[in-house]
Amino acid sequence: MGDVKNVRIWFQKTGAAKYISHLDLTRCMARALKLSGLPVWYTEGFNPHIYMTFSMPLSLGVSGLRECMDIRLTEEAGLEEAAEKLRHYLPQDISVLSAAVPEDPFDAIAYGDYELRLESEAPECLWLAIQELLAQDAVLVKKHTKKGEKEVDIKPHFTQMEHKAMPGWLALRAVLPCGLQGSVNPSLLLEALSEHKNLRPYVEITRTKLLKKDFSDIR
Amino acid sequence: MGCKEKSLNTMGEIRKEKGMKMYPEELERALLKVQKPGRYVGGEALSVVKDKKDVEVRFAFCFPDIYEIGMSHMGIKILYGAFNRVPYFWCERVFAPWVDMEAEMTARGVSLYALESGDPVKDFDFIGFTLQYELSYTNILNMLKLAGIPLRSADRTELFNIVVAGGPCACNPEPLADFFDLFFLGDGEEVDLEVMELYRQCKKEGASKGEFLRRASQIQGVYVPSLYDVDYHPDGTVKSYTPKEGVPATVRKCSINDMDSAYFPDSFPVPMIEVVHDRVSVEVLRGCIRGCRFCQAGFLYRPFREKSIETIDRQCRDLCASTGYDEISLSSLSTSDYSRLNELLDRLHTWTEQQKVSLSLPSLRVDNFSPELMARVNSVRKSGLTFAPEAGSQRLRDVINKNVTQEELMRTVTVAFREGWTRIKLYFMIGLPTETMEDVLAILSLGQDVVDAFYQCKDKPKGKAVEVSLSAAAFVPKPFTPFQWFGQDTMEVLREKQRELKSKNPSRRVSVSYHGAETSFLEAAFARGDRRLCAVLEKAVEYGLRMDGWDECFDFDKWMEAFAACGLDPAFYASRQRGFDEVFPWDHLDYGVTKGFLMEECRRAYAAKTTPNCREKCSGCGAGCFKGGICVGGR
Repeated sequence: MGDVKNVRIWFQKTGAAKYISHLDLTRCMARALKLSGLPVWYTEGFNPHIYMTFSMPLSLGVSGLRECMDIRLTEEAGLEEAAEKLRHYLPQDISVLSAAVPEDPFDAIAYGDYELRLESEAPECLWLAIQELLAQDAVLVKKHTKKGEKEVDIKPHFTQMEHKAMPGWLALRAVLPCGLQGSVNPSLLLEALSEHKNLRPYVEITRTKLLKKDFSDIR
Repeated sequence: MGCKEKSLNTMGEIRKEKGMKMYPEELERALLKVQKPGRYVGGEALSVVKDKKDVEVRFAFCFPDIYEIGMSHMGIKILYGAFNRVPYFWCERVFAPWVDMEAEMTARGVSLYALESGDPVKDFDFIGFTLQYELSYTNILNMLKLAGIPLRSADRTELFNIVVAGGPCACNPEPLADFFDLFFLGDGEEVDLEVMELYRQCKKEGASKGEFLRRASQIQGVYVPSLYDVDYHPDGTVKSYTPKEGVPATVRKCSINDMDSAYFPDSFPVPMIEVVHDRVSVEVLRGCIRGCRFCQAGFLYRPFREKSIETIDRQCRDLCASTGYDEISLSSLSTSDYSRLNELLDRLHTWTEQQKVSLSLPSLRVDNFSPELMARVNSVRKSGLTFAPEAGSQRLRDVINKNVTQEELMRTVTVAFREGWTRIKLYFMIGLPTETMEDVLAILSLGQDVVDAFYQCKDKPKGKAVEVSLSAAAFVPKPFTPFQWFGQDTMEVLREKQRELKSKNPSRRVSVSYHGAETSFLEAAFARGDRRLCAVLEKAVEYGLRMDGWDECFDFDKWMEAFAACGLDPAFYASRQRGFDEVFPWDHLDYGVTKGFLMEECRRAYAAKTTPNCREKCSGCGAGCFKGGICVGGR
């Protein structure tokens, strides 16, 4: 592979960009990297393409405030300069925060820190309903997987939530498993609310950061 | 532990902080309920956002189909760039929402909006549509409806919301005549701007819409349908078109003579979601030398005009440097007819390989496929090759002037097999003039011959089987072609031909597919329709018809109801054989090619006589009146 340097790009995916799929995101990144003129490393083989590897993909519609991907540079390039160049060529709602030397491998990612903003005219009542829901012995929801539907108990994952009622909104914070060993999609809470409580509030979900096993930030 | 105030700042606020509004706020709640929400949010790199304070004329460029199709279209990219180059014009993009989004928008009272500003289409000075195919006509009316704009031109009385259109179907715009204020005929790069300037001038002068339209009608390439009265014979055919208020009796299309100095964009909005043609596309030539008698584009875009290698090379470099794409498609009606194709490809290779950019040709011809050419275009996948012999028998290929021989096809597929291809797709049409069942079945024997050629090929790929797929579309006669007089095969006849094809398939290595006879029938009715069809379109949209090009939306019975409700018979337009003396609804539109030439070509067709292509010999079609391209540059 020669003398290549791993670089981790930290970015946000918000606004219009939250509505594009992970595959679309990789295509946008590839075009921006090509335009940046950075000395990116290409995979070898019959059909070479820019090497990029992403942390945990975001679901369609979920914003990410601190996402990352790794690239490889074949020559020395300033990290700040790399971030600046890439920022320039990306659509406005995919914004580069910084470029850094990776400290943790991606398989160290264990949790996602999520914020859910539920629309509600009576946020305290909605919070009560959620507490009622989570007071059940188990909160079963149907999870759609490649092998078909299966029922899972989401209760253990959502009991530690924080909440804050604001005019018109209920804000929740949940730290959920998110890693190669398995993930819990924050929207499962909404499915449970729908199935068990017949409540379907409009929700905006944001992943604020990715965490390691000890709940410290991935770096 | 409380929630952190700052990180709870969600999308809405982030967007507000940045001062961006790309789609109406109310839609945020709808976007997660629809398929591919990325279609509706804008925000692409290189989209043009201007300050409204600096803008005098706003143009909503409407593509009457979904985002992924519209964003693959060359014309929108050219005109978007050309309009936005003028500081006081602002052109934005609008696409037809898919049915799920349409329902959400309607339920929420959100009207159709443009992707750059998020502003409603009804706020725009111009609402411009591109007419690419007849089955998108209901989408046009539906988009106007979703925009809250009165459908009929007569109901829009102010000098505002001027509804215009261009594109190939503008050559017979009569089925849309009541809805549009004006049509652009031919190349739009220059005339569109001229009309926008005129509008700007008329606004300043406080002129009326009528005054604006009268002045616009004096510009070459501008057709104002309301300034022509139509009379009909008792049998329903056209008697005459009468120009009013001093407008020209015939309207001649615009033709750009010098493709090298013509405007071509150096950037365009790069979609964030995958679109149909997700690559750089550079037009290498306009027009076609061939003169295939079924092909409308081949006559509409005459004369044949090439760009120089230098121009193409520069445009490819510029677009790669602005968009970041790593694939270039060299597009045109027939790219392999570019006179210096190998030289062009060699020139592009001086930088594309090093920049890891691949080249592709969208159209291959049977008669110039070679290993040398294939080595130069690296993106043709080994999996499948597509050719279009169009007809199964040599006689019928002569009738349609598709000058491809059986020997050429066999030589080409043998080369392809030797080079490692094993899947060949062949496109045909059924329902061509003079076609017999024997001609139809010749499609199958041609397929069998290709299979045989594979087994006879000594250097064929080892251990692989050959697959030949034959695809048969139903022929739709179009205006400005030698077959514009031809009565289309009825649906019964077409279905009979399809059945024969399916049931007499000789080989397991051959597969046969065909397209619906019903959509072709409808397409034929609108292609050669007249103004009375406006009522049918209006009725169809009232019945909820739109997205007719999509199987899941197409409802033939509803269409027949719409025709019946208006007292019109679609067969009158689609299946009726016309006489040479009939006045057509498009006879007052002039595309250079004369009716006399088309008649002569029609006679030659029925005599199975071919006509040489423009490079071999000038046939005097009439396009020489534009004094451009191959008509003056020698061959």
